[in-house]
Formats: sequence, structure tokens, C-alpha cells
Amino acid sequence: MIKSDENIFECKNITVSFGAVHALQDVSVAFERGKIHAVVGQNGAGKTTFARVVAGLIRPSAGEMTVNNKTMPGGDVKQARKAGVELVHQSFALPPSFTVAEAMQFGAGSGKIYSRKSLKRFWQKHLDKLEVKVKSSERIKNLPVETQQAVEIARALISDAKFLILDEPTAVLSPETTQKLFVRVRQLKQSGVTVILVLHKLKEVLDIADTVTVLRGGKLVQSPLNCEGIDREKLSAMIIGENANQNLASSNKGSLRPETQQDAVLDVQSLSTIKDVEGAALDDVSLTIAAGEIVGVAGIEGNGQRTLVRAIADMVNLKSGEIHLNGQNMTQMSHLERRSKGLRIIPFERNVEGLSSSSSLWENWSIRKYLQKPTFSFIKPKQDRAACDSGLKKWDVRYTNVDQLAGSLSGGNAQKVILSREMDADAKLIIAAQPTRGLDIGATDFVWHSLRQARDNGSGILFISSDLDEIFDISDRIIVFLSGQLVGEFTPPFDIKEIGAAMIGADL
Amino acid sequence: MEEMIIAILRSATPLIYVTLAGVIAQRAGIWHLGLEGLMIVGACGTILGIVLTGSVLYALLLACLFCILGSIIFWFVVEKLKANQIIAGLGLTGLGLGGTTLAVEAIFGTPAAVNAKFGLPKIGEVFGNIFGAFSGLSILVLLMPFVVFGMWVLICRTRLGLQITASGEHPFAARSVGVNPSRMRFIALMIGGVLCALGGAELAAGSLQIFAQNMTAGRGFMSFAAVVFGASHPIGAMLAASFFAIVGALGIRAQLLFGEDVPHDLLLGLPYIATIFGIWFSAKMRGGAKAVTGFGELRDQ
Repeated sequence: MIKSDENIFECKNITVSFGAVHALQDVSVAFERGKIHAVVGQNGAGKTTFARVVAGLIRPSAGEMTVNNKTMPGGDVKQARKAGVELVHQSFALPPSFTVAEAMQFGAGSGKIYSRKSLKRFWQKHLDKLEVKVKSSERIKNLPVETQQAVEIARALISDAKFLILDEPTAVLSPETTQKLFVRVRQLKQSGVTVILVLHKLKEVLDIADTVTVLRGGKLVQSPLNCEGIDREKLSAMIIGENANQNLASSNKGSLRPETQQDAVLDVQSLSTIKDVEGAALDDVSLTIAAGEIVGVAGIEGNGQRTLVRAIADMVNLKSGEIHLNGQNMTQMSHLERRSKGLRIIPFERNVEGLSSSSSLWENWSIRKYLQKPTFSFIKPKQDRAACDSGLKKWDVRYTNVDQLAGSLSGGNAQKVILSREMDADAKLIIAAQPTRGLDIGATDFVWHSLRQARDNGSGILFISSDLDEIFDISDRIIVFLSGQLVGEFTPPFDIKEIGAAMIGADL
Repeated sequence: MEEMIIAILRSATPLIYVTLAGVIAQRAGIWHLGLEGLMIVGACGTILGIVLTGSVLYALLLACLFCILGSIIFWFVVEKLKANQIIAGLGLTGLGLGGTTLAVEAIFGTPAAVNAKFGLPKIGEVFGNIFGAFSGLSILVLLMPFVVFGMWVLICRTRLGLQITASGEHPFAARSVGVNPSRMRFIALMIGGVLCALGGAELAAGSLQIFAQNMTAGRGFMSFAAVVFGASHPIGAMLAASFFAIVGALGIRAQLLFGEDVPHDLLLGLPYIATIFGIWFSAKMRGGAKAVTGFGELRDQ
């Protein structure tokens, strides 16, 4: 065991209960000073709760904590911040209408009256010192996520933080910005800050962390373990528990597509869209997807992937070009007509576009059926409830009853509800947009498995992801988008260098 | 022209005070539909105070006290009992309208209007005749621009203002830097209570010296509309409130001008019609209410 004065943070028997549910149970852990510690676990393992307890946002129902060998009362953010503990949230906690300077000021600084100029100048200095490239007069809502994150980290470092917790910082970042974040984290370590990273992806853990701590079901499975000498398999075994290897092993199975190649499910011919506020316009994109084929879309976010989805779904105005589904021209069809022809979408934002969080599960689930019926068709709640119940059971969704609000499900379960709705027998073309974003390995594996199964059943799948590893694993073919154009098409074996170069528009 | 401006100042000042109360509540995340109730409590408190104590200062203090009490009830119901803000606000309005009538009847034995012997001090009485024709306005009119400026500084140029705004816009963000949103709402509502008391006092004792049932006649709601129209910015909301007052004054002008040609009810209704158009216009300007994404799980915490 390490000497206690080398530990910046220790806690003993921390328990957090929400009603009858234990979010954390008897967690005792100590973090060594000046290192990068990773905390991993599946969704619902209590990682975020743990981070919030440490930051003083949640008062534990039992247990004690010490920071720098001083006891810290639970549930007191001010005390925690005074002790040098700062938390950077997963969905950033910055008021969107504030300017960067205001967002810095409201949580720190003095209570004095300021002028806009002096405030701007004061915080710009701080941002420059940390090499955060942002103007302090910009509004939070206008910043890309990675900049928001950098701002929040800068905010956390105002008060000379000694102990910084980042709650799933990579969940919202693209691979390139993740690397930048890691560079920043390493710099922080150099300057003597102890960093805790709550992470999802094992690769990232092994990339950056000095030690790893594993939570499972609210319990501590592994207290800080030196990262040297552990590999992916071992780590995932700890995270998932039993039969982890089995799950992971499936990830490369069956990536050969069935021999019987059929006609194109989707045939897009020189499609151009009219530019609007939501993203890059498509510029002369032609693309076919055969039945029983998974086409992966790679590209840095914001290069037209979203617009492609919206174009196929009739949610953007076309300039020219045609879209055929199963040989039928559907360029002029409405979204609902397209759906009834077999188009299915697993959308980018599962809680906003995919589900109505304030509606029940059965309503969310049966909407597919009603969307394909006339406007004034009757709703049959009793039937729908039963159908939904058996439908969701088949997909192994964890829920208490079908009248439960969709918003009460965890990320993985919410995604499963969408999958079970969108991947029915009539699905011809499935668009899976970032289907695994923010999911833990168990749920991710489930999504991959389902997509493969749909492929084997003859659906064509358009798979969009910002995670290249994932795209490589699952796709039969990869296309690359850059500034609204299709700039490359690759068949296996995939070469990460070629695809990476295509993504940034570099010539090899 | 001068008398026109005086008329506008007279009707705008109570509106502006109450609007500022709405602004700070809105910033803290409370849709304050109780403004109407607090305003009439302020008006009633001032007149009763003058009649019963014979001192303007005590009367204002009494009005503030009652409005703060009303605000505490509102805060308690909304924050502690987690009641719906809209319903609770309308309840507070009902309480104010009914409670003032009851109070007048309990004290004087009749629900008739209460006349006070004198109103708020006039500008002329305090500063002499330096303001010329404006000397007849009450000192609260003179104070108004300073209060607006003060509220602007408080909301837009101090940390407290940022913390209040953060509590309304993103409570979780406030909580995660150690700010207690509930306490911020309390502070905002208390400040609002005092402002409503001043607004009510100006309405009942500024140019008049009378309290009558329902004398606010929807001005509280109009103030609330000004909050929305003015994008809950102190200056913007003040301009919006002034706009409503100007339309009202034009209506009265038009009455004198057109006499019987135009129905008099229509002209009286002008400010209310302007309010509706104002709201519609401001919604257009901002492209309607946008769904806030990405913070769903954190909003209510």
C-alpha cells in the first residue's frame, strides 16, 4: 500500500442511495498524487455518481472523504472547490447564453462590479495562459463542443485546482480532438495536477492513464491498478464481469458479407442539397448500398454526414439529383412514404430525435406502425402495450413497465428501444447514425451485433460514426466525406493512413 | 407635447418598476405571473399606510413588507413545495386581488375606493421648481431611471447577477460551482417584491391618492409581457414597458381627437393589443422558442 501522504484523495465506505437503489455501495479508494487515474465501468456502474460525490454535488448517505489528508464534508461544492477539487461535466455545465468571460466570472472572481471590457481582458489572459484558443467575448452556445470543454477545463483551473475530475470527457469528442484533450491532460499532470478521467473506451484508458479503477454495479471491483501490464481483454473482463471475452470475440466475426449480392437498396445519383443552417450542403454525391451490405461513413464531423441522412430522410431541400430506394424513385416522396417503403433511421441524437423522452415506452415503440398508417387511424393502446412488451423483451431492454417514460431509460437501453423499433422485418435500408455514441462496451457490442444481423437478413445499412476503429470493424465498404463531397471509397483491407488522409483532404 | 410626455411618464413608471421585478425573476428562472397580485398589494399597502399612519415613509415600508411577504409565499410554494410556477403565480395574483379587497372591507367596512389625504411627495416639493412642468410628478418617477440603471448593473455587471442568471438558465451549472439556485431565486423574488411595492405605490399614490378594487387592471400582466418582449434584459424590458405606456397615452389622445367616431373601448384596449403584438413580434425576432438540447438530464437537478 502507498503511504497516505502521497494520496491526494481518499474515501472510505462511500454509499449513495436514491430511494431503494444503491448508486454506489461501500466504495473505498485512494488516488495517488500527480498521476492520471482512469475510472471505468459500464453505464450505470456509478462512475458519474462517484465523480459528483467527490466534487460535492451529491451528499453520500454514508462514508467519509479526505482531500490532502483533511476531512471533507460530503455534498458541499464550495468546500470541495476550496480544497482544490474541480469537476468537468459530461454535458458541460456552462450557461449557453453567457460569454466565455461571464461563464468564468460567475463561478469565481470577485463580487465587484465590472465593465465588459475589463472582464474580457481579465479572462482572456487566463485563457491564453492555458493555451485555450477562444475569444472570451464569444457566447458559449456558439462554441463547438471541444472548445466548450476546454473552456470548462479552464474554468476548473481558475482556482488553482489540485485535483481535477473529467466526467467522460471523450464522449462528445471526435478522435482528433480527443488526442488534443489528452495532450492537455498530460500537460496538467506535468504541472502537478492530479487528474481523474471517467472513461468509456478501453483504448483511451490504456493510452493515457497511469492507473485504472473499475466500478461495476455501484461497487468497487478494482482499486487503482497500475496500467502497465494490463491489456484490453483483462480490463474488459473486469468491467463486464464474467463472459466478457465471449462478447468481445464476436466483434470481428462474420464481417464477410453474404455471397449472394442483390440489387442496390439505396441508389443516390449526383445529389446536391441547398445549404441551410444545420450543416454542410451535399455536393454531387453518388452512392449505392446493396442489400446485405454495411457501408461505413467516415469523415470529420460536420462534413455533410448529417446532411446525407437528412437528404435520405426528406428533411432538407434538394438542389438536384435523385434518390432511389429498392429501384423506386423516391426523390419526391415524403418522409412517411419513404418509411413505408422500408427506410429506417437510428438518428444522431437518440434522446431528441429518436425518442420522445416525455412519452411512454409503448407510445415511442408503436409510433413506427402509426407513421405508416393514415392520419386518422385509431390507436389501440392495449394491443400496442402487449406488442411493445414482447418486442422490447426480445431486444433485452431493461425496463419496469411499458408505461414508463422513455426519458427514464439509460443511454444503452434507450438505444435498444430505438433499435427494436427501427430494425423490424420490413426494414430495407437502415441508417445508423452514431448508434454507439456514449454507450458502454456491453451495449456497443449489442448494437454491432444487431446491425450485423440486420445485414445478414438482407437490409442495406448506412453506418455513420466518428470512431474509426468501429467503422473498420463493422463496414463492408467505407466512404469518406469532406466538405459535403464524397472524396473516397475504400474496400477491405482498410488502410487507416489512406482513409485518414482522405478525411482531411491530404494527398498521399 | 410636454403634457404628453408627462402622461407617458405617469403611466410608464409603475409598469417599469413591476417589469424590473419580472426581469429579475425571469433571470432566476421564474415565470412571475404573480406580478399583478404583488402590484395591487403594493398599491393597497401604500394607501392604507398613508391613511392609517399618516406617513409616506411608513406607508412605503408597509407596502414593501406586504409584497415581500407575498414573494416569500410564492418562493416557498414554487421552490419548496415544487408547485407549477404558472399556477402558483396566478394564485398569487388571485390572492393579491382578493386579499386587498378583503383588507379594505375589513378595515373600512365597505369595499368602496379608499381616498388618502395626500400621495407620494412631488418632485416640485422636494427639489423646488427646477424641473418645470415635470414638478408635478412623484419622486418615484425621478427615481425610476436610477433604479433601471441600478438593476442593469446588478444583473449585467456583477457576479450576483451572473449567478442569478445561471440559476435560471442552467441550474446545474450554478450548482456545480457551489451556487444554490434556490437561494438565488429567493434573492431575486425579494428584490422583485420591493420593486412591485414601488410600482404599486406609484400607481396608487403617484398622481392619484386613491386605492380602488382591481385598480391595476392587468398592468401586472402587461409588465410580464414587457419582460418577454424585452428579452428579460433590464433596458430592453424598460423600453418595452415604455412602448406599452406610449401606446396607452396615444389611445387617450386619440379619444380626445376622434371623440365619438372611434369606439372608446377600442382605444382603451390599445395597450393590451400592443402587448399581444409585442409578444408575437419578439417571438418572430428570436425565431420562436428553440428546444434546448443536450442538457435534458441536468436541467431539473
